[in-house]
Amino acid sequence: MLSVKGLLSILRKLKSAPDQEVRILLLGLDNAGKTTLLKQLASEDISHITPTQGFNIKSVQSQGFKLNVWDIGGQRKIRPYWRNYFENTDVLIYVIDSADRKRFEETGQELAELLDEEKLSGVPVLIFANKQDLLTAAPASEIAEGLNLHTIRDRVWQIQSCSALTGEGVQDGMNWVCKNVNAKKK
Amino acid sequence: MKLKRFLLRYYPPGIILEYEKGGEMKTKSIDLLDLTPSTDIDTLVEEIRRAEPLVTVSRIQQVKYLIVRLQEKLSQQDDHKFYLFKVLRAHILPLTNVAFNKSGSSFITGSYDRTCKVWDTASGEELHTLEGHRNVVYAIAFNNPYGDKIATGSFDKTCKLWSAETGKCYHTFRGHTAEIVCLSFNPQSTLVATGSMDTTAKLWDVQTGEEAVTLTGHSAEIISLSFNTTGDRIITGSFDHTVSVWDVGSGRRVNTLIGHRGEISSAQFNWDCSLIATGSMDKTCMLWDALNGKCVATLTGHEDEVLDVCFDYTGQLIATASADGTARVYSAATKKCTAKLEGHESEISKICFNAQGSRILTGSADKTARLWDSHTGQCLQVLEGHTDEIFSCAFNYEGTTVITGSKDNTCRIWR
Repeated sequence: MLSVKGLLSILRKLKSAPDQEVRILLLGLDNAGKTTLLKQLASEDISHITPTQGFNIKSVQSQGFKLNVWDIGGQRKIRPYWRNYFENTDVLIYVIDSADRKRFEETGQELAELLDEEKLSGVPVLIFANKQDLLTAAPASEIAEGLNLHTIRDRVWQIQSCSALTGEGVQDGMNWVCKNVNAKKK
Repeated sequence: MKLKRFLLRYYPPGIILEYEKGGEMKTKSIDLLDLTPSTDIDTLVEEIRRAEPLVTVSRIQQVKYLIVRLQEKLSQQDDHKFYLFKVLRAHILPLTNVAFNKSGSSFITGSYDRTCKVWDTASGEELHTLEGHRNVVYAIAFNNPYGDKIATGSFDKTCKLWSAETGKCYHTFRGHTAEIVCLSFNPQSTLVATGSMDTTAKLWDVQTGEEAVTLTGHSAEIISLSFNTTGDRIITGSFDHTVSVWDVGSGRRVNTLIGHRGEISSAQFNWDCSLIATGSMDKTCMLWDALNGKCVATLTGHEDEVLDVCFDYTGQLIATASADGTARVYSAATKKCTAKLEGHESEISKICFNAQGSRILTGSADKTARLWDSHTGQCLQVLEGHTDEIFSCAFNYEGTTVITGSKDNTCRIWR
């Protein structure tokens, strides 16, 4: 896994990717665990993660694909800027803190708005029900119901429970990503 | 033709002649790019007098005096130590590029937060926020040497022209069908050129706000462009591995520089418009004859992609920055590597000379900027403090202030 550095490499990641490259957008509320997930994917140290003020980009090789993962900060004041990154997105990964029940409504609203975005129309979406390592975490089925995921009909979607901290469930989610990007890219 | 007065230009060394022709005021410059503190004044003045009819015998004393002033300037010792002056919590998202106006009195920062901000260099105060773009403000420029206008190019596919003094938007240039990632004013400040991921470049009329011409011909994204000093040629560097030379007046392609085996990262003219330097992902920098488009040298040595290239003001040196974490200096005359700048711990994305040509500034993903002696290659200073990678950096014209723009959302002033 490579960290993407420099403005020029950002431009190279910006252009519509060749066949074997996949652009993945990682979104979700602040403290959902997006950066931890990114680092877990990269097998990097996850003990000192601070709120993302901008973005992190990493490239992972998986099942013959090069996955370029864009992790975008989720704080309320910078959420309006998520739109900056929509162009050429192949898969959207939306991360939810399954133990933060107080914010289920807020995260549901943000997700609904994303699914309404024209530039993301038809883009496969994977929802990670993160932080399953916590005892208070809601199960994926409860979140799916609370967020009315079954009403999504304009794209393929999947909800996957996981713990970015322990890594459990992360690979299952990425396998789904590779399977479903296949359909779209070919 | 009647000579009115002389103006001195320190960097690159030169004398500007203001003269009257047919009732109109005009200027021309005598470039003294090879001038050193030890150049023999009498010989040089004699050469100038023979080549330039405007310089008559009665003016010789004046010209001598100007040359002495230039030599004094050139022999000034450059031992400036930089200290962090201010951390500007400039933007709420990462910065993209930074740029000074000619005098260095103000500078601009572009950001992922869709704004460009104008700053007062002396105080670090924010003067204006240029708002209106609907996506990342990526490319920014002052119309130097005038400095009264600013152009911003955005991922929203538009370019905007602003008043540097009031922050008012004069024009929005619409027409590109993808992100704008590079731009420049022509030296006369009558045109803005924009390069886009849509594979075209466009020239826009500063006065009317209309599109003047579209430069079509590249088969991939354009990511670098630059005008020559006289403003009659513009070059565009593309991910299609080539660089095109265009005639500004007609928009016609004059030459295509073919030879690189990877995407172009940067393309620059030297001051006297004779050479073009191009950096590429193929790990090399190539030098081209600007008139006939022939490759005159391939500068090798880097072990990874060349991400930025630049000439010093006089065109004697070329500096290259690479993803291998090193920078190199080459002589334009011998095409040999004269210095290797080693020390950065990660890729160098930006490199520039000070106007004097004595110092090189590099910005790196290792979160530091470094100052180097351009002749010995010795690292003179490490500017530490940013908490994320540095995307851009610049010297002011005097070489006494440095600004750095980072992914950590801040801009730092060092002086």
